[in-house]
Amino acid sequence: MSTTIETTERERIAFAAVELARHPERPRALQVISAITGGWTELRGDRLFGDDRAVVGGPARLGSRSVMVIGQEKGTDPMTRALHNFGMPHPEGYRKAVRLMRQAEKFSMPVLCLVDTPAAHAGIGAEERGQAWAIADALLCMLGLRTPTVSVVLSEGGSGGALALALADRVLALENAVYTVAPPETCAAILYRDAGQRARAAAALRPGVETAHRIGLVDELIPEPPPGAHAHAPLVIAAIRGAVIRNLDELCEIPIDELVAQRQRRYREAGG
Amino acid sequence: MDRADGVTSRRQAPRNRLQAPGPELRPTAPTTGTVACPRCKRRFVAERYAADLNVCSECGHHGFVGASQRIAQLADPNTAETLVVEVGDRDPLGFDDGVPYPQRVVRARERTGLHEAFLTARASLAGNPVVLACMDFEFLGGSLGSGAGEIFARACELAVAERRALVAVCTSGGARMQEGIASLAQMARCSAAVAEVIAARLPYISILGDPCFGGVTASFAVQSDVIIAEPGARIGFAGGRVIEQATHDKLPDGFQTAEFLLAHGMVDAVVERGRLRDTVGTLIRIYSGRA
Repeated sequence: MSTTIETTERERIAFAAVELARHPERPRALQVISAITGGWTELRGDRLFGDDRAVVGGPARLGSRSVMVIGQEKGTDPMTRALHNFGMPHPEGYRKAVRLMRQAEKFSMPVLCLVDTPAAHAGIGAEERGQAWAIADALLCMLGLRTPTVSVVLSEGGSGGALALALADRVLALENAVYTVAPPETCAAILYRDAGQRARAAAALRPGVETAHRIGLVDELIPEPPPGAHAHAPLVIAAIRGAVIRNLDELCEIPIDELVAQRQRRYREAGG
Repeated sequence: MDRADGVTSRRQAPRNRLQAPGPELRPTAPTTGTVACPRCKRRFVAERYAADLNVCSECGHHGFVGASQRIAQLADPNTAETLVVEVGDRDPLGFDDGVPYPQRVVRARERTGLHEAFLTARASLAGNPVVLACMDFEFLGGSLGSGAGEIFARACELAVAERRALVAVCTSGGARMQEGIASLAQMARCSAAVAEVIAARLPYISILGDPCFGGVTASFAVQSDVIIAEPGARIGFAGGRVIEQATHDKLPDGFQTAEFLLAHGMVDAVVERGRLRDTVGTLIRIYSGRA
């Protein structure tokens, strides 16, 4: 439900940034996975209820390593967008992610998470099957996982639905991505009781990843050549590959006890 | 205003917010006047309603309870020692929606006598040494900002340092939108703090009151060993109104109530307020290996 409201210049700019991050041609998780890894084998299902197509995952080779790659996939055309539920995971998606992370730990494989979701799915089934429980469990899993972890925020990191795959040792983000407590529409509904005031909410929330960088949820921004990743997908994907491998090289040098302790200390302090 | 679930805010419990804030616990209820049960409208003398823990003796409705009243209800008499955790004032976004955010915090402090949406105490609960961490819905909808997150994290650390069980009472609309992404980070901070309690192998019991939504439910509220819900409490991730608007689906009867979640395997028990202290006390005693 939207209402006509006056939008200031500042609000227009803020919401344009959100729209840029939502550009349909930005690199998606499956596209990144197929471009930067070899032999990626998708593993499906949470072994409890079903398979959530908003989260895809499986083992692959990345450079000289075996890694577990887990991504939130938004889809690239109307059919795949519907298939992947616009990147909004159900509880099964988070439970599958946890299953794959535990498997990675078992085989001493680093984990790479590709974050791209407006938010976790809001629906009857998701609530009945414990959306909050699934996210809370993924948070604890990532905090304690005894293997190196890297997350990349590709385009949209929204709410606990994104955070559940983003408590990594290193969190990278594409420069034009947004990372927010909730999508601007939801924030507007809560703050102003009007989802139509999403531009106002976007201006107030400073959704750009530099805010997340400033408060310690993101470590490194990956530059995008203008006008953005949608126009330079191969270049940007190559930059992602380089940044992930460099960070994994560093992380794999750190003894695992120390790494986990560092990770927990870091998130204990996150957010000021 | 601060509800992530979109449920209309209601004032249900008699309130006693006139005393100046202080480390001492405030009396648990007003001492004059009458209050009406929000459900059946039956009127009670305020002292009687407070003595019944804000539970209607007629219809069993569980009314709102403030954080200091919670501590008084759960702790053994004269054992609660409120922890004074001064967290700096935070306004990471310079947020202003007509009223500047810092001013909203000041008003919430004046109204509730609390420093933040969390009040914590060292106490004895049915004879067990515990740390109590109680949320107050009257403080900006019990929303989880960086101040509240820090207070909870310190409570976890105190539990570990003194080898006490952790008991949290959660009632919140979710994230504090006015702090933006810093509020989201509190889910990480509180989870990291809970991870320390888990690593120390100390019992952690959470009690979910009405309402409990968003990032609070999706982090520390359900990372406990035992999850107890109060009768009728509305608990979930996204609120019912949000879901109805987004999906146009008709919500099932009793959707997101404590009883609904019990039937779906999401909570361990639905326990009446008058039985909370005994139930939690028994669990802690058993987990601690004591008779």
